Amino acid sequence: MEEIKKAAIEKITTHFREVTAEQHNGNRVDFFIGKEEIPAILFYLKDEMGYNHLSHIACVDWLEEKEFEIVYIVWSYTDKIKIFVHTRVDRENPVMDNVDMIWRQANTYEREMKEMYGIEFTGLEAPEEFLLEDWEGPPPMRRDFDTEAYAREKYWERPGREDARDVRETIIERTGEELPDFAKKYKR
Amino acid sequence: MINDKNSQKIVDIIQNFARQHSIWVLAYGTGCGAIEIPPTMTSRYDAERLGVRGAATPRQADVLLITGYLTTKTLKRVIRVYEQMQDPKYVIGFGSCTINGGMYWDSYNTIKALDRYMPVDVYINGCMPRPESVLSGFAKLQELIQAGKADGAKKYKENLEWYRTNQKKVIPNWHMPEYNW
Repeated sequence: MEEIKKAAIEKITTHFREVTAEQHNGNRVDFFIGKEEIPAILFYLKDEMGYNHLSHIACVDWLEEKEFEIVYIVWSYTDKIKIFVHTRVDRENPVMDNVDMIWRQANTYEREMKEMYGIEFTGLEAPEEFLLEDWEGPPPMRRDFDTEAYAREKYWERPGREDARDVRETIIERTGEELPDFAKKYKR
Repeated sequence: MINDKNSQKIVDIIQNFARQHSIWVLAYGTGCGAIEIPPTMTSRYDAERLGVRGAATPRQADVLLITGYLTTKTLKRVIRVYEQMQDPKYVIGFGSCTINGGMYWDSYNTIKALDRYMPVDVYINGCMPRPESVLSGFAKLQELIQAGKADGAKKYKENLEWYRTNQKKVIPNWHMPEYNW
């Protein structure tokens, strides 16, 4: 396992200049790379190294850093390790190359990301609405989208739940447990 | 003979008796509550002894079970289904999501009170309600039918304007047939 991981890191770092690698415990290796290199590195992983299974494409909203992180997770049936390829795109103008010429099923993930985060994919096939029907608000999975305020404004609420509150507040009250600093920021 | 008041009463009693013991539920599940329907229908709890059984299409069904949360996308389909059903028709709101939003009270895409959009005859609370509560809900519906008080469909026809306004508020692109009952 360790040799396979080392060999994969070696291969990628010699082929791509602007890439940093990170080893994790277990069968996982991470690569961080610029967004222009994404089709190239995925083509290389698939065609040269046998990572021909696309497990997932995930998106992370880094609101404070004004960036979206897109993570491609690929798996090899021979090496039996998974490779995470991370890239960052600008949050104000999120444009990304689509990779559905490498894996056909990438289209589904890309359409979902377009709808949930508002990321534009160049040359995206079938860019019309995907899961959300008649959606008029901002992309709902962005962290600056206030779900609760939106729901309160749009849907009628039956009286009697005004005391509904964050479960963490109840925990603090009962146990006196202190919240970590980062969690205080997101308190309702 | 039907115009005679007393005979009408007898006809009503017979009709309600028949309706009460043949509740056909539309086999349509929304949200997660539909998982409680198979145990209710099968041998352990055997809802068919109350006359509750599944129906394949809206036009054959008497009861529309709203099992759990309703997204606005599903609400559109549910309204269409409800409007296609033949009289007599009843709606059972199932689970706390239909009553006050339940755990989806702050979700951006689910409605929080079913009776703003459709007339509800019986609510079953719980998250999820166990098959016993489901059966007790059906028993309550039977009681209401027997007493002639399960008049949700009538309420819907009389207050159609109000329901439509609420429905159109959460469904922006309204491409639905306008039925003329």
